[in-house]
Amino acid sequence: MKSPQNWLKKERKTEIMNNIVCQDCENALAGKTDLLKALRNETVLITGGTGFFGTWLAEMISRLNDVHKFGCRLVLMARRPNLFHEKAPHLAKRPDIVLVSQDTCRLMELPPETSYVIHAAASPDSRLHASDPLQTIDTIVNGTNSVLAAATRLPALKKIMLVSSGLVYGAQPWEMPAIPESFMGSIDCSAAISAYVEAKRVSETIAAAYRSQHRLPITTVRPFAFIGPYQLMDRPWAINNFIRDGLRGGPIRILGDGTSVRSYMYPGDMAFWLLRILVDGVTGRSYNLGSPAGITLKELAEKVAACFPKSIDIECRFLTNEVARRSRLVPDISLAGQELGLSITVDLMTAIRRTILWNQTVKSPVENELIDDRV
Amino acid sequence: MKKILINDPTLRDGNHAVKHQLTAQQIAAYAAAADAAGVPIVEVGHGNGLGASSLQVGLSLTDDATMLKTARKNLKRSKLGIFIIPGFATINKDLRPALDLGADVVRVACHCTEADTTQRHISFARGQGKEVYGVLMMSHMASKETLLDESRKMESYGAEGVILMDSAGAALPADVAEKVGALVEKLGIPVGFHAHNNLGMAIINSVTAAQAGAVILDGTARGFGAGAGNTQLEVLVAVLKKMGYDTGIDFYKMLDAADLAEKSILPMIPTIKSTSIVSGLAGVFSGFAKHVERAAAEYKVDPRDIFFELGRRRAVAGQEDMIIEIAAKLAEKGKKN
Repeated sequence: MKSPQNWLKKERKTEIMNNIVCQDCENALAGKTDLLKALRNETVLITGGTGFFGTWLAEMISRLNDVHKFGCRLVLMARRPNLFHEKAPHLAKRPDIVLVSQDTCRLMELPPETSYVIHAAASPDSRLHASDPLQTIDTIVNGTNSVLAAATRLPALKKIMLVSSGLVYGAQPWEMPAIPESFMGSIDCSAAISAYVEAKRVSETIAAAYRSQHRLPITTVRPFAFIGPYQLMDRPWAINNFIRDGLRGGPIRILGDGTSVRSYMYPGDMAFWLLRILVDGVTGRSYNLGSPAGITLKELAEKVAACFPKSIDIECRFLTNEVARRSRLVPDISLAGQELGLSITVDLMTAIRRTILWNQTVKSPVENELIDDRV
Repeated sequence: MKKILINDPTLRDGNHAVKHQLTAQQIAAYAAAADAAGVPIVEVGHGNGLGASSLQVGLSLTDDATMLKTARKNLKRSKLGIFIIPGFATINKDLRPALDLGADVVRVACHCTEADTTQRHISFARGQGKEVYGVLMMSHMASKETLLDESRKMESYGAEGVILMDSAGAALPADVAEKVGALVEKLGIPVGFHAHNNLGMAIINSVTAAQAGAVILDGTARGFGAGAGNTQLEVLVAVLKKMGYDTGIDFYKMLDAADLAEKSILPMIPTIKSTSIVSGLAGVFSGFAKHVERAAAEYKVDPRDIFFELGRRRAVAGQEDMIIEIAAKLAEKGKKN
């Protein structure tokens, strides 16, 4: 039985979570809600709906409904929607959000009232891609095919957004400051580790085929990297590790010489961009989704360390004897800017500070505290 | 100057050589000596790692907690390393308490084709802010392509380096150059190598690994380790120094630590016994040697035949019970003949 103290603690956490994220949504929407008016009284369905993208979209649409009276209905489709009650109870209990248990690979039909579809079902966790590449391919390729096939039968369909990946470009040439959507990279298709990226590339081709054969109105987004609330700190990505190391009191460890370059978008911006592209993105177009502000991992670690009150050491663990294996992953977002007027409104320092605040108040610093005794 | 990170498992792999009977006093003495020499990582535990003390692979004289506490107390500069094999070690029972006792470096090992088993352990240790490496044992049993696939899994789980172990001492320098080179070329994390000396190749294999781009090497005092022993650390430090590599280890104090190990830990200096040569040729885990010798004596069969049969069956660590079965069958066959 839950004790009153625990219940109160949970309520308090939920309240803090609401405050941080609601404020973020409001900031992202400030003066721009008219740009999303096409969503008024519409039904938006999101596959992978309880993941990072789905949760933030649910937050944003809740805000549009609560404050701006959009009257939008949201269907979140996921394999295990029950987990959403634990993750975001304030969203799970809303009357304008419907949770549907469904594996997209086995999907036969979508709710007929659906007018907008965001297909985001696929885990970005590279550990899963490495351990189970066949499942990864199945989820992305067959899932995309099933969703789009079902979408051809929707009577009120207005738009579909395919969530692809910024990794479809392959390795970004070091001398290229940012990747434009027109860049045709290459992937080593003979490696099992390429399963996720190759599947994402195939999913874009499947979308192109449905556009061509069934005239489906599909726009694609290619997400890069994000940092903010709802992102799990146990993911093996640089900024997550840096913040987690900082939450533990340090040191922050950098693998490599720290010259690799990344960029990070705050999810408040991300959620607004997604809805904006959903509404007005050109059918057949792909848009990069991310921040164009590149930063070296060393600078990033310094920024993270600076966000904590006590001094935190930074260790650069550069062990390789060869030339540094530096890499760059930064999107060129000028297309979204020119066509849809989109821009970055949250700077990296603010993003890091809010992520730390959210993790300190809402989440345990370590996500994987509960380990099965058999493991 | 090129840097090499030395990991010293004298107090872990060496435990194999004494049937896991290292005492707390011995651990304290060697840990202090290695620390004085500036050995970067001192790995401590049962030969098969944390949680492995058992009838099947051998009961430890000193329990895991005592070993770790003792080493921790005697390590000031050196990091305290632990070795775990999922299956023997579980997160809640072994890994979490070890981190609480002050372990700095975690090496999560598995058979070279089973990296999937390491995901939770690697992720957990990284989540605790520890330095974590993946270890692929019995690396002679897999092609460079398979080793690369498995290493990439460990990299994706959060391993900060991958160490290839030549657990059977079966590799030749060309094998090491090919496999280590393939990993160095394709992985984004450092590569390491851990040798055994069954075929007298431990030093040259370690040096070859470094030349192929490995930046983490294992070595033990006087080669104290399973079977024919490991790469002899004080020799490795000397050779690397002569070749222009920087290990950061004080050479004289390393020699002192090795002398101390010989005097106070080793019941005998590891030599390449006939059974070890056979185990290397057969490609069987060096840690099987004691079990094979015991079974051969009990069933009055030739231990060399046991090793070659184990090799034919591609036996791996954890399948020690196979030794008795093979010895019994050989004995039965002998009677019929």
